[in-house]
Amino acid sequence: MNMPANRPIISVRGLSVGYGNTPVLRDLAFDCRPGQFISLLGPNGAGKTTLLRTLSRHLSPLAGEIRVQGRPLASLPAMDLARIMAVVLTDRIAPPLFTVFEFVALGRYPHTDYLGRLGAGDRLAVTTSLAAVHALNLAHRLFADLSDGERQKVLMARALAQEPQVLLLDEPTIHLDLKHRVEVMAILRDLCRTKNITVIASLHDVDVAAKVSDRVALIKDGGMIDWGAPESALTPEAVAGLYDFDKAEFNRHLGGIELRGEGDRGRAFVVGGMGSGALVYRMLAKKGFAIATGVVHTNDLDCFVARSLGADCVTVDPMETIDAAAAQQAATLLDDCDFVIDSGFMIGAGNLANFDLVQTALNRGKTVFSLRPHEPGTPLAAGCVHCNTAVQLIEALDGFAAPSTLCRVQEA
Amino acid sequence: MTTSECCLDPVRPLLLRRAPVVFALLGLLTVLMLGINVAVGSIAFSPAEIWQALRNPAEASTTSFILWNIRIPRAIAAVFGGAYLAASGLLLQIYFRNPIVGPYILGISSGATLMVSFVMLTSVTVGWTLFTPFISTLAAFAGAYAVMLIVLAIASRIKGGVTLLIVGLMMGYLCGAVTAILTAFAEKDKIKGFVLWQLGSFSGFKWDEITILLVLGGAILALLYVQSKPLNAFLLGEEYAASMGVNIRRFRLLILLCACALAGMITSMAGPVAFIGMAVPHMARLGFGTSDNRILIPGACLTGGLVASLCDLIARTVMAPVELPLSAVTAFFGAPIVITLLLKRRVKL
Repeated sequence: MNMPANRPIISVRGLSVGYGNTPVLRDLAFDCRPGQFISLLGPNGAGKTTLLRTLSRHLSPLAGEIRVQGRPLASLPAMDLARIMAVVLTDRIAPPLFTVFEFVALGRYPHTDYLGRLGAGDRLAVTTSLAAVHALNLAHRLFADLSDGERQKVLMARALAQEPQVLLLDEPTIHLDLKHRVEVMAILRDLCRTKNITVIASLHDVDVAAKVSDRVALIKDGGMIDWGAPESALTPEAVAGLYDFDKAEFNRHLGGIELRGEGDRGRAFVVGGMGSGALVYRMLAKKGFAIATGVVHTNDLDCFVARSLGADCVTVDPMETIDAAAAQQAATLLDDCDFVIDSGFMIGAGNLANFDLVQTALNRGKTVFSLRPHEPGTPLAAGCVHCNTAVQLIEALDGFAAPSTLCRVQEA
Repeated sequence: MTTSECCLDPVRPLLLRRAPVVFALLGLLTVLMLGINVAVGSIAFSPAEIWQALRNPAEASTTSFILWNIRIPRAIAAVFGGAYLAASGLLLQIYFRNPIVGPYILGISSGATLMVSFVMLTSVTVGWTLFTPFISTLAAFAGAYAVMLIVLAIASRIKGGVTLLIVGLMMGYLCGAVTAILTAFAEKDKIKGFVLWQLGSFSGFKWDEITILLVLGGAILALLYVQSKPLNAFLLGEEYAASMGVNIRRFRLLILLCACALAGMITSMAGPVAFIGMAVPHMARLGFGTSDNRILIPGACLTGGLVASLCDLIARTVMAPVELPLSAVTAFFGAPIVITLLLKRRVKL
């Protein structure tokens, strides 16, 4: 991309936004470039919508300057601005008796004549816009009859019919089902790539934002606490700080939020590895158990999940065989736990020690729940409580934790 | 590939493709209704007499006098009155994005009523016999525009449509309170005349007034028609309209001024006529099957003219020689329509 094309389309310096004399956000400074997908992230009420409304000139800035294509936003004629910038708002609008085509055609406003008559070029633009949001099939339906997801797509098509270079969206995926949520985000990402449109959207899903954005703005406490590529800005600490959560963690590698449990129902030691433990950890956290695990390699999926869930992990470096020191450390940790789960990990030369660890647990009289396929006569088969599925494990744990006799019966 | 091959036609569902037919039908019916309103009345004339009188306006016959000075002005006034009230209601329903708004929501009728109550119920104007025939009209005009100006002054300061709605309602209550107090102190025989005025009537229009209606109202309607593009954008709400390039501040004032001018003009001449302004835009929307204001502005005017003519005909003839209050007829007509529409939720604004 050559330099002029990469000139900022929106440039913000020293901007304060808010209502009346009360600033909501102060001292904002950032540049939006053509084709960038920019997500505004932050807790509810942080000022994301206020910032969007200021960028779209629905609100006047309290201080500072916004430049659009180098021209001051404040002095841009309304029609010029409408040809550069389009918005998708959260207002629930349902104009009666409009077909989807006619509704999208309203977006041609800055391009049509004084009576708003549609020429061939306008019809083409409406068609292209509907196609871009995969909504050509809706063209002749009535707008008021659409579902939430369909309506959101049509609202986006209306904005696109303005042929903007910047698209501002306020919570574009709110109220949408999963199918449309995914579809809307994919459409927006495509718009950035194929039409070089700058998308600025306030989003509430950090995980989705991390996957689609070129830049994220973290908005909290009256300012922008960070601005940058999601790969660098969305650290677990930054996300936890942004949303003030301590019972969850955003994991960049997993691309999602892990929810920690209360940890007050006893302590489980999971012998895992090779990705076999991830679901077990999440299930334990959900059910309120504290978690310890070992021995896992630091590049193992299990290690990422367990750490995000706040588990005590005994780890070894990638590709290394589990050594005696780590095994010993795990065994010590295991002693403090109320029960042990064998996640059914695949066994190889590198993690034989884990196999021994399960045996050690049995030897020390721990209750061991095993997800390993039950084959009588093999080592470990005796003494374990066998659960064929995660569901059975949950049931067994519920029996175990509410100190009933279920497990002892099984042991006997 | 040419554009015609790769792009969709703005085809409407079959049921909604009917504007030209509806226009023709409404136009025909309106002309018919005009004719009936001229031909029918408390004194029966033969078609030959009517034809004779129509061809010779200057003729000194009773027929000619009644036709040219009473029935024709009244028939025309009914058409224009209905049309302007409907257009005014349409504008305000778009402005407030609220289906049960009518032209009187901004206090126009209450302002007019207040001033007329001063004239009719008190002795303030006793000495002004010179102006007597026009005094009520002038008072109503002054009242309607005074309240309208107050509401507009407030409108330029506040943003939300709903707030303005409440301001209009409150102005209505205030004027109503003064009117009520005046009524309490008024003489009995004056009250009847005042109450009848309050119910509206298209009788007694002078040709001068018709000319004013035609020229002023026609100019406003022409202005509105040219504004149907921003009006359409306004259907999406102020914020979307602004983002598409509508100058909201100027446009809001324009809508309000036009709506008030149209309704104020009719109210000052005919008194407050209920329900036409509220119900007719809905009828037009359903009849034409569209919210497109390029169709609805003329469409609502035509429908309004037709409905008002019909109501006036009913008011004049059903209980003749006693004339029913116009607002009573329009209410019988309009209230069920509004209720049905709201229950069916066919029309949401």
